[in-house]
Amino acid sequence: MNSALFVAKTGLSAQDTSLRVISNNLANVSTVGFKRDRAVFEDLMYQTQRQPGAESAEGSQLPSGLQLGTGVRVVGTQKLFQEGSIENTGDAFDVAINGRRGFFPVTLPTGETGYTRHGQWQINSDNELVTAEGFLLQPGITLPAEVQTLTIGQDGQVTVVTAGNTAAQNIGQIQLADFVNPAGLEAIGQNMFLETNASGAPILNNPGEGGTGALLQGSLEGSNVNAVEELVNLITTQRAYEVNSKVISTADEMLSFVTQQL
Amino acid sequence: MDKVLYLAMSGARENMRSQHAHSNNLANVNTTGFKTDLAQARAMPVYGEGLPSRVYAMSERPATDIASGVLTPTGRDLDVAIEGDGWFAVINANGEEVYTRSGEFAINEQNQLVTVGGVPVMGNGGIPITLPAFEKLDIGGDGTITVQPLGEGPEALAVVDRIKLVNPEPGTLFKGTDSFMRTGNPVPLPPANDVKVVSGFLETSNVNSVSELTSIISLSRQYEMQVKMMKTAEENSTAAARILQLQ
Repeated sequence: MNSALFVAKTGLSAQDTSLRVISNNLANVSTVGFKRDRAVFEDLMYQTQRQPGAESAEGSQLPSGLQLGTGVRVVGTQKLFQEGSIENTGDAFDVAINGRRGFFPVTLPTGETGYTRHGQWQINSDNELVTAEGFLLQPGITLPAEVQTLTIGQDGQVTVVTAGNTAAQNIGQIQLADFVNPAGLEAIGQNMFLETNASGAPILNNPGEGGTGALLQGSLEGSNVNAVEELVNLITTQRAYEVNSKVISTADEMLSFVTQQL
Repeated sequence: MDKVLYLAMSGARENMRSQHAHSNNLANVNTTGFKTDLAQARAMPVYGEGLPSRVYAMSERPATDIASGVLTPTGRDLDVAIEGDGWFAVINANGEEVYTRSGEFAINEQNQLVTVGGVPVMGNGGIPITLPAFEKLDIGGDGTITVQPLGEGPEALAVVDRIKLVNPEPGTLFKGTDSFMRTGNPVPLPPANDVKVVSGFLETSNVNSVSELTSIISLSRQYEMQVKMMKTAEENSTAAARILQLQ
């Protein structure tokens, strides 16, 4: 069969994957702490149909051969950890990490530690700080009863003032986990990342130390998806898809011409 | 049999091969740093008894178009593009030094700077670049990698290595089967100091989709013409057979 058909097929499926990555980014354009992905393309191996330097006849050599590429593939997706814009919300339970490095460690239901940039905290029935999904912050912070004001400092110190008590009371310290290679983290959804061999082990630091960002109470980090950029990528992907589908229809016409004429 | 049948068949076959080459270019229209493969047809006269009147067609890849793609900003520190001429040196699976324009780098488990395909990037010292744990990384205009080590302040900036950049004579590089460019000579090229890189940018593919698509359509028409020739050869042969039947 016409080999151009199969090459164009790899083009279509790669653009299709890219479209999926872009649409996921756009779907998460308003997700707090979301980090966008990028599809990474790579050309496939080449096949040597005719070796350069082979003898075309006695005493004469082919000056150039024929090596045909076999298409393209998406070799992987890359998480891009640029900082999202920080928006002020005024809610005392909203905490943003002001800096590119650092993740809140969270205990997942499986017992593993997940890492997130999503700092929209809530309280569960035991007065503990949890994510919107109900996962506990690590190390756990339990608020006393009758809290009047909650203050989370830039360095992660959590202090409260309770009813009938004028003195502020320190109830814990939020720590941030940092990774040598954050791009190696595994995204598992729910704004969570898991440690992998590629990311390296987490390094715990107080916020603002060891390169991690300082905390900002009353703010949230927006998604780092740039809608304009994604839409431009969407258009280029769509056009690339169209030219590849045009190749398929042209190759098909050639085959149909042969079967009808001969 | 009529020789025209074989001539037309070889024409159609080589048209198909050429179309394969163009479709590969179109499949890679969005691949970072991809370089268009050129395809051309060459006349191959057949010598033998009688007049050398038959000429077969042959498709070949004479070269790769190394024109620069468009540099697009990405804002990622490990994305590097080359401005103007030059190539990044990387080490392929066979341990050879090969060249690429795709500067979409990442860090692997061994803390080496690698391409997205996992191939280590060559440093100026002739060995792969290994990075220490860092807080901030910066790639300078000449490929120098500066890091702020983990847990250190901005006063502790350290130069780790320099990405090996080469700038061979035009026309000396060709694409191998692993899609990297090479010289075909086992001696690595010397590092070039005049190659300029920009960090935070990537080079797009240099495929011109309009011209590739036009080539594909024109090849498809040529192919139809060859098939028509085969059909005509068949009709001639049928006519000849009919005349013979009458006698």
